[in-house]
Amino acid sequence: MSLHKHSCLLVLAVFNIYPAVFGDGVNLAVSDPADKPRQTSSLSPAVVVNPPPDPLFSLNLLSSLPEDPEISDYCSELLHIFGQLYVDYVTCLVPAARPVKVCQNCYSSFGSLKNIYTNISSDQEGPGNVSCRDSLLRSDRLMLVYLMYSNLVGIWSKSACDNCITEGGQSLTNDTLFFLTTHNQTLTCFEKYKEGNHSQLCTNCKSPYKDLNELYSGMEKNQTLCIDIEDAMNMTRRLWSKYYNCSFPREETVPVIAVSSFMLFLPIIFYLSSFLHSEQKKRKLIHPKRAKSYASLMNIQDKLS
Amino acid sequence: MANITKKVSWSSRADESGATGEGTPLLNGSEQPRHSRQDSLRGRPKEIPHNEKLLSLKFESLDYDNIENQLFLEEERRMSYMGFRCLEISRWVVCGLIGFLTGLIACFIDIVVEELAGIKYQVVKQNIEKFTEAGGLSISLILWAVFNSAFVMVGAIIVAYFEPIAAGSGIPQIKCYLNGIKIPRVVRLKTLVVKVCGVICSVVGGLAVGKEGPMIHSGAVVAAGVSQGRSTSLKRDFKIFEYFRRDTEKRDFVSAGAAAGVSAAFGAPVGGVLFSLEEGASFWNQMLTWRIFFASMISTFTLNFFLSIYHNKPGDLSSPGLINFGRFESDSVAYNLYEIPLFIAMGAIGGILGALFNVLNYWLTIFRIRYVHRPCLQVMEAMLVAAVTATVSFTMIYFSNDCQPLGPEHNEEYPLQLFCADGEYNSMATAFFNTPERSVRSLFHNQPGSYNPLTLGLFTLTYFFLACWTYGLAVSAGVFIPSLLIGAAWGRLFGILLASITSNATIWADPGKYALIGAAAQLGGIVRMTLSLTVIMVEATGNVTYGLPIMLVLMTAKIVGDYFVEGLYDIHIKLQSVPFLHWEAPATSHWLTAREVMSSPVTCLNRIEKVGTIVDVLSNTSTNHNGFPVVVQVAGSDEPAKLCGLILRSQLIVLLKHKVFVELARSRLNQRKLQLKDFRDAYPRFPPIQSIHVSQDERECMMDLTEFMNPTPYTVPQETSLPRVFKLFRALGLRHLVVVDDQNRVIGLVTRKDLARYHLGKHGLEELQLAHT
Repeated sequence: MSLHKHSCLLVLAVFNIYPAVFGDGVNLAVSDPADKPRQTSSLSPAVVVNPPPDPLFSLNLLSSLPEDPEISDYCSELLHIFGQLYVDYVTCLVPAARPVKVCQNCYSSFGSLKNIYTNISSDQEGPGNVSCRDSLLRSDRLMLVYLMYSNLVGIWSKSACDNCITEGGQSLTNDTLFFLTTHNQTLTCFEKYKEGNHSQLCTNCKSPYKDLNELYSGMEKNQTLCIDIEDAMNMTRRLWSKYYNCSFPREETVPVIAVSSFMLFLPIIFYLSSFLHSEQKKRKLIHPKRAKSYASLMNIQDKLS
Repeated sequence: MANITKKVSWSSRADESGATGEGTPLLNGSEQPRHSRQDSLRGRPKEIPHNEKLLSLKFESLDYDNIENQLFLEEERRMSYMGFRCLEISRWVVCGLIGFLTGLIACFIDIVVEELAGIKYQVVKQNIEKFTEAGGLSISLILWAVFNSAFVMVGAIIVAYFEPIAAGSGIPQIKCYLNGIKIPRVVRLKTLVVKVCGVICSVVGGLAVGKEGPMIHSGAVVAAGVSQGRSTSLKRDFKIFEYFRRDTEKRDFVSAGAAAGVSAAFGAPVGGVLFSLEEGASFWNQMLTWRIFFASMISTFTLNFFLSIYHNKPGDLSSPGLINFGRFESDSVAYNLYEIPLFIAMGAIGGILGALFNVLNYWLTIFRIRYVHRPCLQVMEAMLVAAVTATVSFTMIYFSNDCQPLGPEHNEEYPLQLFCADGEYNSMATAFFNTPERSVRSLFHNQPGSYNPLTLGLFTLTYFFLACWTYGLAVSAGVFIPSLLIGAAWGRLFGILLASITSNATIWADPGKYALIGAAAQLGGIVRMTLSLTVIMVEATGNVTYGLPIMLVLMTAKIVGDYFVEGLYDIHIKLQSVPFLHWEAPATSHWLTAREVMSSPVTCLNRIEKVGTIVDVLSNTSTNHNGFPVVVQVAGSDEPAKLCGLILRSQLIVLLKHKVFVELARSRLNQRKLQLKDFRDAYPRFPPIQSIHVSQDERECMMDLTEFMNPTPYTVPQETSLPRVFKLFRALGLRHLVVVDDQNRVIGLVTRKDLARYHLGKHGLEELQLAHT
């Protein structure tokens, strides 16, 4: 529950950033995020993990780069926000791993992360004519910011969450919500009848389950599935077929065997009857004209013997 | 001679030849029993059941020898330098056209099969789904069987009633054609149409067949048609490529067509060229190879291009053949040195299984030739096989407990759930409820663990017998894909077992790799092709590093298989009683001389011959000779006639048709002189002698053959050994070889059937019988 609240707050924060990112007022963009991240971090202090400071390392860095000429304040500010949002998104993802709810729970944090990354990577120049894209994304071999972001984008695209989120990233699509409702109904039904005989469950929950199944196949055809829906369906199917054992039984063995043995019997009759009734095809031999000579014949026999 | 004849298996009715004949010792008076036997035979022609040791009279040779008569020399003289250049260019154009059209046909077959099979499997699948829930699955079974039988019935009817030569894969027929045998109607347009429709029907009808072999035949027909610039069936003459209207030129184009067919079927242009090389290698040169390669490339490119349009990816040239093995590129399919012995062992298994397949099919084919020879019976048999195939497949799927989760990429085209849990599919159905090409691909590429060993074992067993039963039916269909499928199934099984008996084998024993090796072994064990098959397989997998294992596997399979029985195509060629000349004469035949081999006496014609005599000779049905040595009698002397040339039946018929008589030439001086073109126009279907009317007066006229005969036929002295004669024949593609004595008098004539009748059997040299078929 705390997670939900947290994500809601995050959304709020993002909405605050929003005009700054997309508005043309550059000044606003610098000043505004300056206090917002402080807000977010203060709201969720537990999430921020500070790396144990390594005195020697930091000292070295400081001595070699007393003042990084490339990184402007503006860019480091952006980097800071990126870090915050990144942490938020990852924090959201991990508990949603099983059962999979990565799309439903974390779409908003991904949205804000995406926004800040777009801001970093845009070639629009900030104050002082600096573009953070070059300084933050492409200055070194590691390209850490890019690498981290592309990892998350990989997770996002692999989970196909785009299919379940509306165009602007604001909310879940109606299809998804409808599916989740139907899914809940089915689960409720399972819950209701799970005591006692499972055959009762099979008959009573058949119609909600069937509806759910049809809905799912429809969505599969339209390609509007994301990992949440797939996983929910998979689990339900497993419950239905494996746990409650409601698959179709194999009960028509006798007619199938009868029909197939009849079919298999036909060729035997066919071959027997054609063997018995069809006249055998005969070939007429022809005697080629050959030179007849005793000499050559005797020769052959000599050679043979 | 009598000694050899005796070794041939006669029918059980040995009593006809007389007890004396059999019982008499051969050395004293061996001539006597032979006479008695022949006498008894002459009265009543001996009839025996069909067997493999016969040569049919139906087959004739092709005229590969260039007839250098005066007309030919004249035409050559008239032709300018430019003329020869144009000829060379038009050869290239023809090869390009062959490739293009072959590719188009392949594309057509592929698309139609895919669409029709898609509809069929969708309907059956929906039906099965419906009845799984409601009960009554036996109805689905009947529906499936009826579907299959209906398609196969159409295919079998057009083959059995309209064009029986289109049955089977067509590879044996093309092999014979390239060997120099004129198989009647093998390269006609009608054959092509029946072949294409037939193969579509039989693949859609769910038989255990592939569409790759027929492509080779189709390519050959296209080549034979295009290169002639006309169609006799459609009665259209485009007046182009007239120079190519003879057997020699046509053969070159047919080999290009066969190569284009292979290349379209497997996406293997080099394999196609090598196939032509392997099958027709005695007539070959560098330029021809290059042209054939051109045709193959064009063919695979055309197929590629049109399929890319069909798949809505125009310009994406990534589906080079009808069968696509998919890519073998990941690390898990790399092989290691220690796997080579395993591969060789698999090759040996493939050889044994292939030999078993061939032996079973041999007996079945003999039975079919003897008893199932009426067209209606053939159609019924094909329908029964189709129904049983559906039944067996259904039963296997029904009783299979092997359920696998649906993959994320949906490799399975028509997943059947049946009694599996929701979200899973029946893995037996991926093998059976699919076109064979797709099954092969899923066996090669599905994840390890998508088939359990029991499924694979049962599948191999049933498919082996189904495929063996199917090959030789009166439907046009190939044996490549079923062989690959059987091999892939047991190869995968082998891989799985290997992984389960060794501890860390999951790393290297990728079942897909072993499926590929198994497929190669099984195919090699059945068809016994060597070089071309290696290259085809390597090209189809698109991975050159597999060259070594595939070559080793095919070698082993061939060696092991040849120990038991010949290749499937050779068996069928033999059973068709085709006078096929192998690479070499039988090994122990040096003691046979031309005198024993030749036919004698020979019907000769004089250089200036009476028309009546010629007509009589040609109309004699009992001696259906094709080439006649032309002799000249030295005027006024009693010396016997000497050989001065050779003339063919087809030439004589054209001469008679144009009434080229000495008397008429005198009376009509301005008559147009006969040209080589007149002979070409009649090619290849020369009218029979009965259709040519010769009046009583004309019978008394004389005909001068000097201008038209081949003045320098090949001759051999009568002491020439059989292997020497054989070499001449095979290397030059001869049709007639005149045997002369030291005075240049004709004493005999060697033709293809005289040579082909000797073969090395289990008991030494055996002689085949000539028979009407």
